[in-house]
Amino acid sequence: MRGFDFVAPTTISATLKAAKGRNTKFIAGGTNFLPDLRHQHDGPAKLVIDLMRVSALQGISSSKGQIKMGALATMTDFLTNKIILKEAPILAAMSEKFAGPIIRNRATVAGNIIDGGPAADAVPPLLALKAKVRLASEKGRRTVDLDKFLTGYRQTAIRSDELITAVTFPSPGRNHKWGYYKLARRNAMAITVVGVAVVLKVRRKKVEEAGISLGSVTAAPIRCYEAEKILEGNVVNLELAQKAAEACAAVAAPIDDIRASAEYRKLMCEVLPRRLICQALDISQDND
Amino acid sequence: MKMATASKSKRTGKSSAPAYVPPKKLPISFTVNGQEVSAEAPAHTTLLYLLRDLGFTEVKNGCEAGDCGACTILLDGLAMNACCALGVQAEGREITTVKGIGTVDNLHPIQQKFIEHGAIQCGFCTPGMIVAAKELLDLTPNPSRHEIKAGIAGNLCRCTGYVKIIDAIEAAAEELSSKKGKRK
Repeated sequence: MRGFDFVAPTTISATLKAAKGRNTKFIAGGTNFLPDLRHQHDGPAKLVIDLMRVSALQGISSSKGQIKMGALATMTDFLTNKIILKEAPILAAMSEKFAGPIIRNRATVAGNIIDGGPAADAVPPLLALKAKVRLASEKGRRTVDLDKFLTGYRQTAIRSDELITAVTFPSPGRNHKWGYYKLARRNAMAITVVGVAVVLKVRRKKVEEAGISLGSVTAAPIRCYEAEKILEGNVVNLELAQKAAEACAAVAAPIDDIRASAEYRKLMCEVLPRRLICQALDISQDND
Repeated sequence: MKMATASKSKRTGKSSAPAYVPPKKLPISFTVNGQEVSAEAPAHTTLLYLLRDLGFTEVKNGCEAGDCGACTILLDGLAMNACCALGVQAEGREITTVKGIGTVDNLHPIQQKFIEHGAIQCGFCTPGMIVAAKELLDLTPNPSRHEIKAGIAGNLCRCTGYVKIIDAIEAAAEELSSKKGKRK
């Protein structure tokens, strides 16, 4: 892709106007855009629109139990923002494992989602938090559940005239339990072999609501609805945690690649959710 | 042959080879190490290439994919890979390269400690390492060794490893915090 035009609008409406009717690509932090440009993984575009100056896409806020992250919220924001640290520490735990600090300064939440990769690290915790994606176009605005938004390998439900403006999720509450694990071959700058996120709302020892998701083992990260149902409404013991973990492994459809075999990944899709559920709920695991 | 004839007739009989149109250049101005810089470059030029073409060759070109950290700069004080931004995105921004952190005549403690601890071998990763270390020490003045490792996680050294680099950053942190203590 060469010889494109470039604009850097400052408002959402100017951005949408610029994007209308032209073969357009958006750029923000550039940590996916530029490697794609260099490796020619990108399609053609006549116009590239820089989002970094649109202030309405920045910031993280909390209102009436809803956390709203602007599309440009970075992974570094997840590590430093007080609302995130208090309401959803799972996002900070994920960010700590996300690439390296220099990439985290630029990589945005919307960029990680819209790239659509199976190993997008921000996605499993957001799925477990039951996040929604806010979209805007000149025709109007709509909100889509994140798990419905991801439709396949590098495919999303976004329309060509739309822009992600924010990602929202309901606060899981102060006493929620959570666990996150990124299985990878290095501690930093690694592409995830298996990513697991668990968010549990617990009341009087009962799991009221569960969010469990897997990354890197299907075409796009997925929520494990069966596993969630197994835990919900119950005082969870090791046996139930094991059942839920098996339900996680059942929906995983991993592939062999240079990082790990499908067989190993499938096994880890059982081990890791069980471990995270047990650790989150203080269940002792004899043989783990 | 058939196709060539077809395209010729469609193009109203003129020569079928399209003339090379150089990509349109856009004006860009920003500051590098406090110095104002103006340039013209096509929109697809990365910030890395733009800086190097302007003579800021202390910004190294390693992987061009955000993996190695050799091109680490500060953009408005935040460390980033120059290869992962378009040059035009830097319009109006303040960029700091390793030369903005300290010069040969006036070395920053981080640079001094890199020399003292033998943390430079071939030197290719050094400009990025020092910029990353600068951001780390600005945010975490007294980092643990683990925090130093995490702070330079996006910077690769392919010579010997990281022990001496970590030693140097640790020593620089000590010197910087003792200096600060004296000033108070």
